Amino acid sequence: MSTINTYIADGNFQPILKVALIIIITVPVLLLLRGWARRFFTKKYAPHYGMLAGKLIFYSGLTILVVTVMGQLGISLAPLLGAAGIVGIALGFASQTSVSNIISGLFLIAEQPFKVDDIITINNTTGVVLSIDVLSVKLRTFDNQFVRIPNEMIIKTEVTNVTRFPIRRFNAKISVAYKEDIGRVRELLMEVAEKNEYSLSEPEPLIIFDAFGSSSIDLLFLIWAPVKEYVLLKNSIQEEIKAKFDEEGIEIPFPHVSLYAGSASKPLSVEMVQRQTGEKQKDSVQN
Amino acid sequence: MGNEIWGDRSLQDGKTQHFSVGDLHVWLRFRDEEIWIAHGYKGELKGNIKEDQPPKKVEWVRWANKTISADLRIQPVFPDLPLVVNSEYSLMVSPDTQIQIYTRIPIWIRVSLAKNNYKLTELPTIKLSRTWFGTPTEGELCYYATTKARRDLSRADKKQHVVTCPILVNNKSPEELNFEHFCFRVERLSIYEYNDEFWADETRIVYHGEDLNSDVIMTGKLPEGIQKKQMVAIPRKEIKKSLATRTFKRLFEDTQIFGR
Repeated sequence: MSTINTYIADGNFQPILKVALIIIITVPVLLLLRGWARRFFTKKYAPHYGMLAGKLIFYSGLTILVVTVMGQLGISLAPLLGAAGIVGIALGFASQTSVSNIISGLFLIAEQPFKVDDIITINNTTGVVLSIDVLSVKLRTFDNQFVRIPNEMIIKTEVTNVTRFPIRRFNAKISVAYKEDIGRVRELLMEVAEKNEYSLSEPEPLIIFDAFGSSSIDLLFLIWAPVKEYVLLKNSIQEEIKAKFDEEGIEIPFPHVSLYAGSASKPLSVEMVQRQTGEKQKDSVQN
Repeated sequence: MGNEIWGDRSLQDGKTQHFSVGDLHVWLRFRDEEIWIAHGYKGELKGNIKEDQPPKKVEWVRWANKTISADLRIQPVFPDLPLVVNSEYSLMVSPDTQIQIYTRIPIWIRVSLAKNNYKLTELPTIKLSRTWFGTPTEGELCYYATTKARRDLSRADKKQHVVTCPILVNNKSPEELNFEHFCFRVERLSIYEYNDEFWADETRIVYHGEDLNSDVIMTGKLPEGIQKKQMVAIPRKEIKKSLATRTFKRLFEDTQIFGR
């Protein structure tokens, strides 16, 4: 008890009180400012900018707070800054990856290949962007997994932004038998597209004669939908095409091979050469 | 006009009311302090359509509101998106020419509580397909409609489910205007009931050339014989006198070239 009293009597109490007051006032103010900046920039620009502005304000404020508190406690910054130079070099070597991620993060922010809430594909991972942070980008995949991808990797890898543009095209591969009338098939496909509730009238659906396949005539049926309804279009239109083809008797062929004996016009002749042997074998199996 | 459809109506507890307009069939019911609404479309409903009970395929949607009321208001409204209106036959408007055409747009119905105008649902009387007006990277989602772009309505049949919109097209460019299709932003128009038909106020489109925006002016001018008091629906959006916007050019030209 006497130690505390001596400590207070030495005049140490006032700076401690000041520090406590500074922390008590500044921290809630910083949190309020962070919240305000987040809301303001999210509303005015995008959630992505809201998150960044919030973090910038909070960490800048925190740095100022730490410096102020140290000043109040009589800790001089000069030796610390001197030491920081030496420590900085050591840290620089140790944290090459982190620095690379931070710089990559800055490039990502400047380039804006995607924003928070966009759906992106990186390597084989597709998900919704949860946040774009200093070191990494966080995704939520559609099977509800959390994926953290370092910024450096994103800068080096091909990124596909699935939701960047408002409309998207679905490319359906349709195969029909050689015997089918392609004109009729075209008519039926256009009819299906017209009736589908997700398909857009403009840009017009397009049918491209893709190839003479080994077992079928291959067509590409290109249909547009609003980006949010892409999966619904993909699901519904393929079912509808199948139903329409079944209804109209259009054959969707499976892969098959035709064998000819030397001439394309002459079918392969089949002759029974050892009937008796075959029958004997059958008998022996039955016995 | 189907006066039995539009306006306020009271539902009786446990009893079903039915009406149809265009392709749309609507069933209304008041039960257990809730409003029940079911709807279906002519092409989708098979067999005989009964007035007292919707087909099994049609599902009811229930509405519970703090204002327990069985009084509903049925109003005609414009579609909730702009329309890309395609003329059945191309109409070429020569430079410095002004013409008036009439286009008829299928209406939507709005079901709301009569007491406080709280909107319960809005349904199209004819299902329109959707289309994109703009470029692959930006534009707007619209409904797709066709029009005869009539110059005279005397030979047109009266239809309960359409609103007639007078449009004044003014070609102020030095080139011909191909009036084949245009984006019609209907959200700033009102609906009036006159002579058993629905009418909208006048829209004036001033065309300045293919690469320039067109001026779309809601003149507010009413067709002859119609008065303000005959208004049955206010615009979906606050009226601005004019807006400069892309109206004729769609700018979506790479689909055919880059099929893949």
